[in-house]
Amino acid sequence: MKLKFKFLIALLAVFALAVSACGNDDDDGGATSAPDGAEVDINAVLAADLNNCEDAPTGDPIRVGMAMDFSDVVGFVDIPGSKLVPFIAEKANCIGGIFGSPVEVRVAEVGDDAVLATQELLDWGAHFLIGPPFADFALPILQTTEGQVPLFVAASTEPTLADASNNSYLVTFDDHGMSGAAAQWAWDQGITRAIVFTEGEGIPYTGVNPDAFIAKFEELGGDVVSVQTYVWAADTDFSAQVNEIAGISQNNEVVFSAALGFQVTALRGQLEGQGLDGLTYIGTDALDATGIQFEDNNEGIAHTPHTSISPGDRIDTMLADYEATKGEALESRGFMALYVDSMFLGIQGILDCGCTNPADIGAAVAQIEGFQGLTGEITFAGTNGIPPKAVPINRIVDGVDTLVATIG
Amino acid sequence: MTELLQNLIDGLGRGSIYALLALGVAVIFGVMHLLNFAHGELITVSGYVAFWTISEGWSWYLVTPVIIGTAIVTSLVIERVAFSRVRGSSDFTLLLTSFGVHFVVSAIFLLYVSASVKTFSEPGWVANTFPIGSLNIEVYDAVVIGVTLVTLLATSWLIQRTMFGLALRAAAADFDTARLMGVRSDTVIRGAFALSGLLAGIAGVFWLMRSGHTTPTVGITPMLKGVLAALIGGLGSLRGAVLGGIVLGLAEVLLRSRLPDSVASLTEGFVFLMIALLFIFRPQGLIRVAHAERV
Repeated sequence: MKLKFKFLIALLAVFALAVSACGNDDDDGGATSAPDGAEVDINAVLAADLNNCEDAPTGDPIRVGMAMDFSDVVGFVDIPGSKLVPFIAEKANCIGGIFGSPVEVRVAEVGDDAVLATQELLDWGAHFLIGPPFADFALPILQTTEGQVPLFVAASTEPTLADASNNSYLVTFDDHGMSGAAAQWAWDQGITRAIVFTEGEGIPYTGVNPDAFIAKFEELGGDVVSVQTYVWAADTDFSAQVNEIAGISQNNEVVFSAALGFQVTALRGQLEGQGLDGLTYIGTDALDATGIQFEDNNEGIAHTPHTSISPGDRIDTMLADYEATKGEALESRGFMALYVDSMFLGIQGILDCGCTNPADIGAAVAQIEGFQGLTGEITFAGTNGIPPKAVPINRIVDGVDTLVATIG
Repeated sequence: MTELLQNLIDGLGRGSIYALLALGVAVIFGVMHLLNFAHGELITVSGYVAFWTISEGWSWYLVTPVIIGTAIVTSLVIERVAFSRVRGSSDFTLLLTSFGVHFVVSAIFLLYVSASVKTFSEPGWVANTFPIGSLNIEVYDAVVIGVTLVTLLATSWLIQRTMFGLALRAAAADFDTARLMGVRSDTVIRGAFALSGLLAGIAGVFWLMRSGHTTPTVGITPMLKGVLAALIGGLGSLRGAVLGGIVLGLAEVLLRSRLPDSVASLTEGFVFLMIALLFIFRPQGLIRVAHAERV
């Protein structure tokens, strides 16, 4: 009797182990029924009609974790991004999912505890994460994942956040690529003198971008005649700097900064007030973030958006579709496709490896080459997690934000 | 020399706005012993009102009184909803309440309006200049300095020559005694908040004219400048607040202009260093306030 009981217990234990092994999300069994070499059909997903869906997909779910910051620091991109990605997942599920697998999205607000938000997503079983820009938010996420789960820092250009060996990827060009392209464009316009505004050498974004601009502009043979300091996102009174510039300007320089739109137009107004009306202005994606196209006194100002949206193109249609369905227009339009590309890149990693173990997905993501995303071609193979993308240069021409060049 | 004079005028312009903000902080501190960290919210709310009205095509001539009115009403609402509930509590409770108001107002705009920067048109004349000798004076600076001067004179008259001013000064000197002498506490406190809102509204008009944008936290910088200026001048002193604002504005512009390029980005740091030194050698601020404990 005793022997029988022990045998029964052992049998149950073996059965429980077998069941738990079969249900383990971390196994290397395929999450989808995708054939080898399968690719995400972005166009099919975007074209899905939510009023006329196929049967709900029944495969193992693809779990997309979004650790997002909703504060006034990066909420301007993370709030709309965290609305759009679930919408696109809904559309993917509407056409039967990704090769039979439904896409599930969970959004966890970073708040003041990115570790907790990340842990929540990991406990849920996220296959990959989409994270907020800026190291303050993204680094705690990376520390929590310990490089075991792929992280796409969707709207970031911060080079320090890209580290393929730690499974962390940018989805767009970095500060060096962006501001180097700005310098190249200015040089191509025949401008040989530059005035640069910075928060200080080496300061993430507000200093690194000017550093990169200066390095490239001087490498091209240009002369940086003045480097002025300012407080990012705060200063709008540039009187002290303008007085100094008025003393050295030849009224033909390019003015570069990573400042926000309202700062650049305020600076321009004050420089023009001193008679300096022959200057050319170029900035970074910060101008796209704060909508330079909606500012007054913006004519001729150039910037480096992540994607140049034209009426009726895929991104414009996607955003219009969201608005028509949800009854709400999304802000920060130029950044939105980066969030959607992040989701599709993670899914492509799953398709490439035919696995659901996040670390293996990360290894597959690192080998992605020539992925045709909404924001252009994305390659991680042979990089440290920064895709070598071309940089669009947009300029306000006759009041319209217009693509005038593509660098790289 | 020309650049120095130019800097002095720029500094006076900037300092004038700080003076108005500091005066609003000082008025409230004088009556309630409250260092009001919610003072910036008057500009935050005004900023969104400016955004909405200008987006609807209103001109700055119409928007200006609306902004000032908004700041006054907001100040009174904050007093009624938050500070009246903790009147008579410890300084620390009042301080925490003001922080609470700041966070609640920011969160409301963040959740129910937008986390994005909302921009609006500045008046066309803001960046215009006019020459005086070799100087190029910004019209904006001239207007700011002029309006601030008039506002300060009017405030001085209000405080020195009216019954309300007398009650305010009495309350600032000794609130309990003032009440025993028949000064109505509600009237004085609400009047102080209305005056503080008026001053913040005028400062807010100039602040928003120059910046042309608003965010849920747009009020933090003006609040900090106002509080700092009030501290520099001597907390509770109205003259000190004005003096502190002017000193702070001049220090910012002159330091940014005069510091070597290699350390110019540390301008704010140098300003705080100077303030720290001031408090070491003159902890009471530039003007000492000598009166009894307030409630």
